[in-house]
Parts: sequence; C-alpha cells; structure tokens
Amino acid sequence: MKSYLFITLLLLTSACELPQRNATQTDAIRTIEAGAETDGRPEEYVMVTTAVTMPMYVHHDQAAFRRWGKQRGVNVSILGPAEWDVPAQINTIEEVIGTRPSGLLINGTDPAIAPVINKAVAAGIPTVVYDSDIVNSKRHAFLGTDWYQIGQMQGEEMVRLIGGKGKIAYMGILGLANMEAGFQGLLDVVKKYPGIEVVGKYDDKANVEEAARITSDLLAAHPDLAGLCGFDSNSGPGIGLAVREAGKVGKVKITTVDWEPEHLQLVKAGVIQMLAGQKRELFTWYGAQFLYDMVHQTNRLTDQAGARGLTNVPATVNTGLLRITRENVDSFMK
Amino acid sequence: MLLQERIYSLTLTIVLVSVGAAIAFPQTFPTFGNLSQVLLNLSIDTIVAVGMMLLLISGVFDLSVGSVVAFSGGIAAYVMIVLGWPVPLALLAALLGAGLVGIINGYLIAYQGINPMIQTLAMMGIVRGGALLISGTGIQNLPYWFNAIGQAKLLGLQMPVWYMLLTVAVFAFLGNRSVFFRRYYYIGGNERAADLSGIRVQRMKLYGFLITSLLAGMAGILLASRLGTALPTAGRGLELRVITAVILGGASLSGGQGKIVGALLGALFMGLVSNVMILARVSGYWQEIILGLILISAIWGDMLLRRRAT
Repeated sequence: MKSYLFITLLLLTSACELPQRNATQTDAIRTIEAGAETDGRPEEYVMVTTAVTMPMYVHHDQAAFRRWGKQRGVNVSILGPAEWDVPAQINTIEEVIGTRPSGLLINGTDPAIAPVINKAVAAGIPTVVYDSDIVNSKRHAFLGTDWYQIGQMQGEEMVRLIGGKGKIAYMGILGLANMEAGFQGLLDVVKKYPGIEVVGKYDDKANVEEAARITSDLLAAHPDLAGLCGFDSNSGPGIGLAVREAGKVGKVKITTVDWEPEHLQLVKAGVIQMLAGQKRELFTWYGAQFLYDMVHQTNRLTDQAGARGLTNVPATVNTGLLRITRENVDSFMK
Repeated sequence: MLLQERIYSLTLTIVLVSVGAAIAFPQTFPTFGNLSQVLLNLSIDTIVAVGMMLLLISGVFDLSVGSVVAFSGGIAAYVMIVLGWPVPLALLAALLGAGLVGIINGYLIAYQGINPMIQTLAMMGIVRGGALLISGTGIQNLPYWFNAIGQAKLLGLQMPVWYMLLTVAVFAFLGNRSVFFRRYYYIGGNERAADLSGIRVQRMKLYGFLITSLLAGMAGILLASRLGTALPTAGRGLELRVITAVILGGASLSGGQGKIVGALLGALFMGLVSNVMILARVSGYWQEIILGLILISAIWGDMLLRRRAT
C-alpha cells in the first residue's frame, strides 16, 4: 500500500510543472510575418475590454473600432464582461488567444492583465493596449492618455476656479490603477496651495446615483465646499445633479472627465466648469490600424521586419487631452 | 423519470452543448487548450459555489462571498509584501480573515436573527471596503512560491482546476456520507422539525457560513496567485454568478434541495456557454441576456417536468 502511495506521489511530482521564475516574462516570442497569422482564415481583429456595455465605451471606443473594420473590409469583434470585472476580462483574453485572431486590441484596465498580454504576444498575436498603458507587459504598442495628466489638468483648473483656496473633494472608482494615478495628479497640484483643503476621496462606484448621494452628503457636511472633481464617466452627471438640486450651481465648481452628451449639456448649462476629455476614438481607430500594419507588415523597417523585438508601429502614443469649457462646448455638441 | 433530477438533465444539456460546439467550431472548441482554459476560468467560481450550495441546501445564501475573495487575496498579499511574512503564514492570515467574516455572518444570522440577505449585503460592503483599504490599487509582484500555488500545472492543467476538483470531491463525499452534512438537508427542508429532532440548527448555520467564507477565502488566494496580483476589485458580481450556477445545479432558494456536484455542473454549464459565445464572437451585451434566459428556461423546464410527472 505504501509503495503504491509512493509511486503515485512520485508520478504526480514528475507531472507537475512549476511556473517560470519571472511570471511576467515570456521566453519564446513568435515573430510576426506578413499574412502568416491569418492561416487562410478571414482576417479578424478582436477588442477585449471590461464593462463592455458602458456608454462611453460603446459611443467612442467601439463605434470607432467598428467604423475602422467597415472601412478596411475586415471582421471586427468586441468581447468582454458586461460589468467591470478584470478577472473576467483576463478569462476572455485567454479564451480568445486560443482562437488565434489576426490581432488583439486590449483595454488596459489593470496591471494584472500583463501576464495574459504576454501570453498573446508569445503566441505571435499582434497585441495593442489602449486607454491606460500596461507598462509591465510586452504589448507591441500603446495608445491612450496619461491619467496622471488628467488629474493634473483637473487640479490646475480647480485651483484657477476657486482662486487657490477653499474646500474640495474628489471621487471615482477607488482601487483602479489608472484612476488612482489621476487622483495623485490632482493631489500633487493642489498640495502646492496651502489654502486648499481636501475634505475627502470617495468611491462613487461608477454610478450616477452614488455620485449624487455622496455630493449631497458633502454639501450638507461642508456648506462652504468650493469644488468637486470627478474621475469616472458617471461622476460628473451625479455631482451635477446634486449641485443643481442643492441650488448651488456656479457656487460649487465642478471639473470632471469624459464628454458624453449629458456632460456637454451640464457644461453648457454652467453646472460643470471643465471637462478633461480623452480622444477615445483615436485609441481604437489607430490601435486597430497598428494591428493591421503589423499583420500586413506595411512600412517594413528592415528586410527582417519580423525579427524579434522589432515592431513597425510606434511603441507609445499619447493622444492628448481635450479641455472642454463653456466657451468651446458648442463645437463638441452634435 | 431520470431527467427530473437536475443533475442528469444538466449533464445531458452539457453534453449536447459540447457536441454542438464541437460541430460548430471544430478547430477551436474541442481542443485541450480551450477546454482546460474553460475549466481554469470556472475554477474560482466553482470553489465558492460549493459553499453556496451548502448554504442554499439549508435555505440561506451569502452575498458577501465576492468581497471575501478580494479581501483574502488582499490580506495574503499585504502580509507578504508589506509585513514580509512567509507564504504559509500569509495563507493562514488570509483564511483567518475570511473565516472571521463567516463567523460574524453566521453569529448575527443564526444567533441574533438578522435576515441573511441584509446581513450578508451589509457585510459585502464592509469587506469590500476592507479589501480596498488593504490592497489600494492592487498589490503586485507577489512572491514566486505564492504565485506557484495558482500558476503551476499538473498533467497540463493549471492547479486551480485540481483544487476545484478536489474541493468538489471532498464535499460531495461528505455530503453523501457524513451525518454532519446531511443535517443541512433537514434544516433546509423544515428548520423547526430539525430543531425539534435535536439538530443544533443555530450552530449548524454558523458552521455553514464559516465553511462558505473559508472556501471564498481559498478562492481569493487562488485568484491572487493565478493573476500574480491582489485586486481590490476582484470578485465583483461573483456572488450572483455563483448563486445562478448553484440554482442551475439543482438548488432551490427555499432550501432542502441540491447536491454538491450540482455546483460544479452549474458552473461548468455557465463556463461552456460563455466559452461558446466567445468562440462565436457574441458580444458582451448578449451574454448576460442569454445566461438569464437559460436560468429561467432551466427552472421553468423543471417545473413543467414535475407537473407532468404528478
């Protein structure tokens, strides 16, 4: 009996395979050769995001990606969980890799997706990250904005709006790497002004009602609140709603992110003073184009274009930010 | 009729879906790589589902499990990276943290009479807040041996798959053979009668919440080690996915029904459907709708079969 147990344990031990020492590194990176990746199958580019139904993603990222596919005459697919669920996004990428698409366009939601990006790269799939960079990954290219800059931009505008003194608070989705970078950008600006007191950091859970509730509570606790900064798509509409209901439009200054129709209306009405807008259409349009250029090896850099580590597209692209105020809001409204 | 048993009807459905998928996607579905990935992706949910099945058999459920997944991974990462504790102590700390949540839930529900939904809903928020405080933006660069727990492979399958199979096997065996676990059926069937027959209902309920939290804690450790990162947002929405899987697997919200293996089958079915939708490039918009429709169809089908039988 003991010998059977010993043999079983020995077999199991020998069948066990430990991970590589540095899990984020991959030793085998397949080269990308022109036309080789499609293997005769229809050319298909897949976008994997999380919160796939979020209006901002649908109206900007996904709409531009679909338009690009139509213009290029290639298949495009958009996959990912409906809610904000990074592990589910990772699972989706893992399953998509097995289907060997021509290229993968991945929303850089969290540094935790680095290993699966590396897996896609190791499988020879051109992989572009957009929105937030996953710096610890081997992605071929990144297009997006620097969230720290978004925070800085809001901070500088808020300082100007409140004259460098008064109480402010900010909100967004706590725990997300990109948003926390934005918070830090804001704090690094306002800490230079001793007259500004930051009264709180809040998690609005990307929910309009929650953002409105937090704002109402803040206005009750701090009647002299001078300004509020929002960092997710739903922060601005929620803050705006509560400020309006409290009759404090214009008295409490608001800066936030994104430029959905409801954000633009609030700017036009004077409820929100500034929007830090991303050029999201550029993320996915050019991200998809980068993938196409890698697959077709357009703009070959050398005769051995597929050589290890050489990509024929820019490694990092900062698409910049839009500053939307009451003065220029009309040009963004459709 | 055999098909009236959810275990058999679900197994048949899983076989039919698999055969259909293999015909529709012969290049991508019936491959070892794809199927092992499906198993890996459902392993975390299934481990939690085993605990949830136990609770639902006794007529209660726990909404805080998703937060516990983030909390336990966060504790393990925090004590390893910030406090410099060794891996075994970090695992112990994570399980103790998860266990504490289960004890608080169990005590307040069983001994103080707080409604399980309200108690675990409140605990969901408290524990998520705790996970955010501990993990911040997420704790990366976890020690190699911690990552090995979730990233090592045995016979080509990543370890969480084996932990899942082991958990299901152990609990299924105990559910069938041990008096302790059989008591949950009596409690779920008729709590008052169970109490009168000498079963310590309050204590059993507390144990049920403790076991469920410990399994969620184990799932949290596995998720953090698989990702190499403790995410404060991990496990969001997991509670509803798990309850859906367990109901599909034969449990009833009124208690007294279900088998542990049903938790695996329910999660496997959901994993397969999700995989097929990815292979078919069905957008995320539709995935939730399709899973909702499947759940309603399964319950409705069951009711029709039973009505016909009577």
